[in-house]
Amino acid sequence: MWRFFAGRGAQYLLVIVLTVMLNFALPRMMPGSPLVFLAGEDVGFLSPEQRHQLYALYGLDQPQWRQFLTYAANLARGQLGYSFQRGRPIAHMIGERLPYTLLLVGTALILATLAGALLGALAAWRRGSALDLGSLGVVMLFESVPSFWLAMIFIAVFAAGLGWFPVFGAGTAGVALAGWPLLVDRARHIALPLATLTIITIPGIYLIMRYSMLAVLGELYIATARAKGVSERAVLRRHAVRNALLPVATVFMLNLGFIVSGATIVETVFSYPGIGRLLYEAVLNRDYPVIQGTFFIITVSVIAANILCDLLYPLIDPRVRQR
Amino acid sequence: MRTVVHALIALVLVLAVVLPSSGQAGPLRIAIHRDEGSLNPYTYQSGYPGWNIMTLVYEPLFTPDADNIPQPWLVRRYTVSPDGRTWTFTLHSNLKWHDGRPFTADDVKFTYEYVRKHAHSRWTPQVRAIESIDTSGPTGLILRLGAPSSGFAAQPLADLPILPRHIWENVAEPRRFNDMIGSGPYRVAEIREGQFYRLVANEAYFAGRPKVREIILPIIRDATVTFTALKAGEIDTTSRALSPEVVGEFEKVAGIKVARGAGYASTILQFNYEHPLLKDVRLRQAIANTINTRLMVRLLLLGYGVVGSPGYIHPDSPFYNPAVTFTASKTKAVQLLNEAGYVDRNRDGIRDAPDGTPLRFTLLTLAGNPIRIRAADLIRTWLRDLGIDANVVAQEDASIIAQVWPDFDTCKGRRFDMAVFGWSAPVMNRTTSLRDLFHSDCRFGTINIGGYKNPEIDRLGADLAVSAQPERQKQILFEMQRIIAAEVPIHVLFYQDGTYAYRAERHNAWVYQKGQGILNKLSFINPPKP
Repeated sequence: MWRFFAGRGAQYLLVIVLTVMLNFALPRMMPGSPLVFLAGEDVGFLSPEQRHQLYALYGLDQPQWRQFLTYAANLARGQLGYSFQRGRPIAHMIGERLPYTLLLVGTALILATLAGALLGALAAWRRGSALDLGSLGVVMLFESVPSFWLAMIFIAVFAAGLGWFPVFGAGTAGVALAGWPLLVDRARHIALPLATLTIITIPGIYLIMRYSMLAVLGELYIATARAKGVSERAVLRRHAVRNALLPVATVFMLNLGFIVSGATIVETVFSYPGIGRLLYEAVLNRDYPVIQGTFFIITVSVIAANILCDLLYPLIDPRVRQR
Repeated sequence: MRTVVHALIALVLVLAVVLPSSGQAGPLRIAIHRDEGSLNPYTYQSGYPGWNIMTLVYEPLFTPDADNIPQPWLVRRYTVSPDGRTWTFTLHSNLKWHDGRPFTADDVKFTYEYVRKHAHSRWTPQVRAIESIDTSGPTGLILRLGAPSSGFAAQPLADLPILPRHIWENVAEPRRFNDMIGSGPYRVAEIREGQFYRLVANEAYFAGRPKVREIILPIIRDATVTFTALKAGEIDTTSRALSPEVVGEFEKVAGIKVARGAGYASTILQFNYEHPLLKDVRLRQAIANTINTRLMVRLLLLGYGVVGSPGYIHPDSPFYNPAVTFTASKTKAVQLLNEAGYVDRNRDGIRDAPDGTPLRFTLLTLAGNPIRIRAADLIRTWLRDLGIDANVVAQEDASIIAQVWPDFDTCKGRRFDMAVFGWSAPVMNRTTSLRDLFHSDCRFGTINIGGYKNPEIDRLGADLAVSAQPERQKQILFEMQRIIAAEVPIHVLFYQDGTYAYRAERHNAWVYQKGQGILNKLSFINPPKP
């Protein structure tokens, strides 16, 4: 047992070290330089000395290996550094965005998992029925729809057209609200991005659940249950769904780790201030420290989700326990 | 009495129905398309609208007027010595910082020295010309220049915002400093990173009360969403110009007006002057002669633009030389190519240079800009017609820069053939822009991305930089435009007009600043009386 955990721990540590190195290398391998974003639009009028002074200010004049050592040393002390562009501590920037992203992507994941699993189970249970074929068709359609397109349609129909929801943002800008009005305002703003994200997340879960359910329904213990006279509903709920849920649970737990990474496209289209948009803008601006910091947080949470999965899986699947 | 009360109640009810609930009382909402840092002079990001918003809070001594001519603002009167080297200013006496402390000549002296010490890409080069700064009393200021400087009124006077000394004198790392005490007509009341900025009017402003009491600047990254929000009434205007195909549509929306004016941003065909084939002026002239810029303006801009001037300067600029003209002619192009010996030697449909090299080029263009992609595609088609092969490659901004302008440093060379490129409006406004664009020494030709070399241009450019008299500047710039038009180191395709939609009932005092747009200080406050 302890050996198992020590082994896993070493693995995770290795993954973290490798990702830290990759996080450092990848942004720097992109073409382009952060200079224009450090210097603003007048970058063209800089003299060579000023250019050098700017690079020195951000440590970019150092050789790459030294920059890496500085970065790694800071990281070891728990410091993510400062944004090139904003001059603010990255931990603060991520901290501000995190609640928005957790709320949006977390809720979407839960809703999509519930809806996808339910729909997938029913479709498999009534295989070949209108429900099965109809839902499969709709799900395939949404599977292939790009999220920005769906987002645009939602904005055009429900925001601009019907006026039910606001077009952009996470709240009405610059209006001080509290209590119920605040909650309603937030809810109205999150509705469309949440709907978009949920709808594009459902297909993956639906398909896994449907196929898992079909496999389970072909098992002998289902036939046995039916043979000994268990009611159809009990077969469905106690024998089939519970077993078929295992792969969905795994996917759900792994997805938990990615909640932190946000939903770049949806957040950008709706101007929602989440981590995905922070990362996207940092990439556009070649803001190396923010890219590194955000990727690092994502890596850590994905690994945390994996550990959680390792720990929880034996609880939901007794077969693993016996090994 | 009772009838009066009833009449009043009726009036209130009528007004309540007639006036929209979000009438003048609410804040004015102006969507911007990117984050602008904490809006202080060291953290704002973009030239437009970033600089314009920042200068609502932090102010330069002068301000460009609607024609983009710098006018004294914080300065009540000023004189320039006959040799152009000594500038004497008297500041307004009632200037105050947002925290109530008096704004004095000492703050100006401090700022000009501060940006010299703490490198700022925009302002540090501008104050290089200054030899000494002296103050006399709280409102007197004397600047002495080493040599007369052609653009001194524009930069730094109308560009460099003054910092409060009592706050900034202890700031060693300006880029990490997020204080926002300025002197301008607006104070920064709230910043939600990635979401919005909230500015409120500085009621104690020396030039009077600003026209709008509260401004909210939501950040909307996506263009379509921005315009949808405008139509839905969630915002009142935006820093984004309307794309040509939606101008007509917006003009028809009730309550929305479209302000239109000259745009100083250019779209150009940039040649690499160091390319073994493209260094031949006849080839560049032939290529320019195949490009129908008039059709481009009609087709790509739907008429919302002006055909490029061969000497770079926009026809609306006071420095435009109307004698320099260019009309494309395919016959001329064919004639030029044939005469120079560019003929198809191996019958593959592509002309070859006398040494046998086929005329095949890569034409770079920006992936995120549909107008430039379509311009590149038109050029490709027209060149193909002539027997020249241009392969259009669309890439993201950073990749284009890495090839065309590595590290934004023209001293580092270039590796491209041709590019559909463009410069923003401030390049047109700089008095020295033609020197910056074409001087062969990379220290002066800081945006000479094609590596163009011409001793005559170098000489004129050096002369231009130290000419303070507008008449002399004009004379030099006219001559430079003539040479550029003949030599074609770049071929200017067009200047897209600025078209900005706004909700007129929310704010109707917009001032279109020539070449730029409506988001500027003049739209919110009248110039101070001298």
